[in-house]
Amino acid sequence: MINMVRITWVIGGPQGTGVDTSANLFGDAIARSGYYIFGNREYYSNIKGRHSYFTLTVSDQPTRSISDDIDILATFEAETVFQHFRQVKGVLIYDKNMEGMKLSNMAFLENEIKKDVREVLSKHGYEESVKGVLDYLKNAGIPVIAVDYDAQLTKIMNEVNLSSTVVGRAKNVIAVSVSFGLLGLDKKFLLSAVSSMFKKEEYQKINSRAVEYGISLVQSQYGLKELKIDGTRLRVDGNYMSAMGKILGGLRLQTYYPITPASDESDYIEANQMLEMENENQDLRKAGAVVLQMEDEIAAVNTAISATLTGARASTATSGPGFSLMAEGIGWAGMNEAPVVVTYYMRGGPSTGLPTRSGQTDLKFAINVGHGEFPRIIIASGDHLEVFNDSFMALNLAERYQTPVIHLIEKTLANSYSIIDESTFNYNPLRISRGKLTKGSDNYKRFEFSDDGISPRAFLGSCKMSYTGDEHNQFGHISEEVNNRFNMYEKRMKKLETADKEIPERERINVYGNPDADTMILTWGSSKLPVLDALDMIKNDGIDIGMLQIKMFSPFPRNTVRKLLENKQSIIAVESSYMAQGAQVVTENTRIEPTHYILKWNGRMITRDEIYKSVRRIKSGATKRVVLNGGV
Amino acid sequence: MEESDLITSDWCPGCGDFGILRSEESVLKELGIPLQNIVIVSGIGCSGKTSQFVNSSISGIHTLHGRALPFATGIKVANPNLEVVVNVGDGDGLGIGAGHFVNAGRRNLDMTVLLHDNGVYGLTKGQAAPTLKLKEQVKSMPRPNINGEINPIMLALASGYTFVARGYAYDVPGTKELLKAAIKHKGSALIDILQPCPTYNDINTKEWYEKRIYKMTDLDPVVNTPGESYTKIANAIVRAGEWEEKIPLGLFYKNETVTTYEERISANIPNYISYSPAVQQIERNGVPATLIEKLLSSRRVITD
Repeated sequence: MINMVRITWVIGGPQGTGVDTSANLFGDAIARSGYYIFGNREYYSNIKGRHSYFTLTVSDQPTRSISDDIDILATFEAETVFQHFRQVKGVLIYDKNMEGMKLSNMAFLENEIKKDVREVLSKHGYEESVKGVLDYLKNAGIPVIAVDYDAQLTKIMNEVNLSSTVVGRAKNVIAVSVSFGLLGLDKKFLLSAVSSMFKKEEYQKINSRAVEYGISLVQSQYGLKELKIDGTRLRVDGNYMSAMGKILGGLRLQTYYPITPASDESDYIEANQMLEMENENQDLRKAGAVVLQMEDEIAAVNTAISATLTGARASTATSGPGFSLMAEGIGWAGMNEAPVVVTYYMRGGPSTGLPTRSGQTDLKFAINVGHGEFPRIIIASGDHLEVFNDSFMALNLAERYQTPVIHLIEKTLANSYSIIDESTFNYNPLRISRGKLTKGSDNYKRFEFSDDGISPRAFLGSCKMSYTGDEHNQFGHISEEVNNRFNMYEKRMKKLETADKEIPERERINVYGNPDADTMILTWGSSKLPVLDALDMIKNDGIDIGMLQIKMFSPFPRNTVRKLLENKQSIIAVESSYMAQGAQVVTENTRIEPTHYILKWNGRMITRDEIYKSVRRIKSGATKRVVLNGGV
Repeated sequence: MEESDLITSDWCPGCGDFGILRSEESVLKELGIPLQNIVIVSGIGCSGKTSQFVNSSISGIHTLHGRALPFATGIKVANPNLEVVVNVGDGDGLGIGAGHFVNAGRRNLDMTVLLHDNGVYGLTKGQAAPTLKLKEQVKSMPRPNINGEINPIMLALASGYTFVARGYAYDVPGTKELLKAAIKHKGSALIDILQPCPTYNDINTKEWYEKRIYKMTDLDPVVNTPGESYTKIANAIVRAGEWEEKIPLGLFYKNETVTTYEERISANIPNYISYSPAVQQIERNGVPATLIEKLLSSRRVITD
């Protein structure tokens, strides 16, 4: 395992110039060659011009994380060079015509970064330009590859006889191709990826030339060989997996108000809203999932909640600012026992915060959302497969316990993608369970008292029923009478106890590594990914270690978690927050506190190396709390 | 039954809400559709209690302050075969819920909105609501109103409601007639129902209204071709401006040349009305009925 292939490739450029497209193209070609990928996307809250970049980990093993160092940095303008050169340990690909670009001329580069770069360069006496960076790298023994993009593009332009604006877009493809050439993989994979990506014949022609030219500029440095793929593989991201879980789970009404990074999920469902269904009746083999773009998140949540009263499975997807607006509606759903699912894509807060960056800072907000007490189920996915399964399961749990379910996914999971073996994506055993249902009757009691707190649910249209956000009697009519309040309150709360009894605690957590080890990492959400990839490195250093991932925070799996954490020498909480909210919830429920913390709140994904180095520091006794600040 | 499934209305004696509920229930019962297929949705406030006080097999959803329209939208879109009537107050619908009021007009869902328009927040003891005029001071206000007023008819016209009318709460036959027409109308219908609040509004009283209200007979409110809509809206706005001397009641505007939201959804989902989100069979003995193979295949890594 330790000798496995793990290469970090980064491509960057101004937003709106095809950075995503080129990263997808490169990733597709790599995947076709038989390698696994984890790709993390970083971008500003901006449409055109600001720096965006993609980090791809290429490996012969399934991979879930990114590294600190860059093996190949592919650039086609100057800002990316300035942003990332300090991370390059392998090779830099740059535009020969940009050598004279000065740091001071970088309009979008933030002053703080300029200052840092200036310090690094001037300390060593290099000029504050791309040329200075090149000298800096050369002095450090890092090779640089100059590409004359303009000359290459002119050659292509003359051959295909098309305008420079059309041909100019192939610049990134040249950068991709040079990178591909360095890896040493057969160019046929990149050429076939080009023909899948570009449908228009002229674009295929231009980009195929770009591939030929790019690859011919370099020799293989990494000597990668094509790997045989057993079975099939899928390219998945968090938005897609959440949408797929919902679609398979029978979601038929999704509402949203545009917000990053949640909207892509709703867009996907809408784009694919005519679904194929199994049915004897020919007319019912196609059915629609309605997606409603509402005027705000208040409307979005309440529209989804009311749709559930008709029997439709309904949900909404949002991020922090939107969820803040949904609080009152979620309370209504709790009071009226409406099975709504809210998919909550966490980003950096508070307020607008870091709209396009990640964070795990809203867990306690989700757990405590809304005034008053009512049961809510809180699920937090840790990887792309879990996003799918949890998204499917959330719809079941909402209907089984007739209460809101909040599904937490971070921006890191939403916007990153991975190549997974389809054999791990086995959805055949999944079953839809709609909970206690009834056709209703003349004197139907929507909120009938029962031992488990759950009342048989009838859909609007089947009989008379009544709902209100006020305290109500079993018929759903307003009642402030003391005994009714006492009993109805208890009935609602009892549902969480029922859920706690019925959902096996073992299914609410994941354990990796050695659960009996003295050292246990305690984590949740996407922070699981770098930890998981670092576990082997840590073990190889002779550190016996286990990892506990909390997947469901309400109802909390307190007995199992307590057992796994009690009498540990060290418990290291790893989270993307300042407060370590997940660990706080663990302490609240088990009275066990972490002994150490690894925390990151700068909005960037925790890397595998950060975990490895931090655990080493902690185990050496150097510190109780490691705060990370890596990334660009 | 160990307890009653009925509830006694607790509005103040003389409240216009009694008349609105009476008109509403009797029209709905006369529609000839099964009563369980009718849903009354309301917000919060005195008007909000309408959905709780329905004494028939009609279902009632008492929602959140200002949010009746999003709730109604979810019910109607998920099951377009339900008949949905919404009751909101002027504070509820035009104050806290103004954004939803405007955006519901853009959709033109086939549903009816009754605006209980009394100029005050009754249930919180008589503060100024959005239709109370600037400088007016009803009895429990400490000072005159420093906010200007919203004209619900003009706002509805600007927002895209395709049926806009005004009634008077104590005129039960007139309100019933408007309500029947509104329910029959294909698209979003708004009826602004002027309503004295005998407890808190000592300006716009029964006597005050009855000196001023009259039924319009000289306005042609119906749009026959899409090209006429702006002219008809302009004419309606002029009439909606009448207030101090004379207050017109009746139909201001009706336009069935605009597609309904249901028609717009059906353009994308051909069997939407007959196989709506509410009635789809999403599982067969627990096995998911949705086939996702095609959606997966687009994400499959292609190998040569």
